Amino acid sequence: MLNTVFAQETGGFDIAGQFLDASSGLSGATISSLIIVGIICLLSFYVAIRARFADPLKKPKGILFLFEVLINFFDGMVEEFMGKEYRGFGGFLLAVISYLFIAFIWGLTGLPSPMVYLATPLSLGLFTFVFIHANAIRFNKWRYFKRYIEPIPVFLPINLVSMWAPLLSLTMRLFGNALAGWTLMTLVYGAFNGIGEGAIRFIVNGIPQDMGIGSFIAPIITPVLHAYFDLFSGLIQTTVFLFLSMIFIANEGPQEGDIEELSVKGGR
Amino acid sequence: MTNALAAAIAILAVMPSAFGEAWVCTKSIDGMSRNPEMYSKLRANMIVACALVETTAIYALVTAILIIFVA
Repeated sequence: MLNTVFAQETGGFDIAGQFLDASSGLSGATISSLIIVGIICLLSFYVAIRARFADPLKKPKGILFLFEVLINFFDGMVEEFMGKEYRGFGGFLLAVISYLFIAFIWGLTGLPSPMVYLATPLSLGLFTFVFIHANAIRFNKWRYFKRYIEPIPVFLPINLVSMWAPLLSLTMRLFGNALAGWTLMTLVYGAFNGIGEGAIRFIVNGIPQDMGIGSFIAPIITPVLHAYFDLFSGLIQTTVFLFLSMIFIANEGPQEGDIEELSVKGGR
Repeated sequence: MTNALAAAIAILAVMPSAFGEAWVCTKSIDGMSRNPEMYSKLRANMIVACALVETTAIYALVTAILIIFVA
């Protein structure tokens, strides 16, 4: 039953992202994703235009103030956790995180959520994955390829498999959380709709089928579950994704201890 | 039938994850009660650590769901 509901919501895809019916055009999740990207783009263009024409000597007000706090917070956090040479990462992380959070709570609007569709968390994880390796090449140059034959060249296949671990863990964490919430919400809605319909049919006879008359109990009970599975879970997973991305990316660069050691040696 | 059994076995991995989460919470509440001025810092770290420990359970859940729907 869940698989058919899922296929209806995502417009002909099953959970693994395979086509069930080739004739359905853009899937619902893709359209939701495009709407989210549009919202973020419009907001950032609006703020950029406002910021360009704002007076830099006055205190910022309203949305400008909000974004200044947000951007300062991100820049400060990136500098604190990753180091000074990563200062440009604040904008990238803010963009990814805002998409991720809005996509997570998109289930509240009632439209199909893009997070339960494996391609979305996979592409978010791919961002971090690409940055990890690009960063490693940037700092290590040709020594980057040495890590695949460490400690001895026999370990090459094992190292090639373990290379994909961060991508898999980031992807599956997001996907599993969103899918668990979505599955549970679908089951709860189905159950309460069934109970409500049964109660009405018990009292009044002769109502035609497929009227959706039972949907009056679910709205009383589900807000609590929505608050947990969409808002709380989304917030926590966004934070975890942010921290893990920062740690994974910064791990590849020179550590603070190395720099101190080098400078001590250079001093001598 | 075999699929359901396989999913049930896969979801067993949730058990150690629950113990791990209990461990995280116990330790951080210990720390909070000994050192109440660290409360807010410890709470934030505890929630993040819980989410990280929960990952194992989520892998098991994804495996079980994929077994039921895809295999």
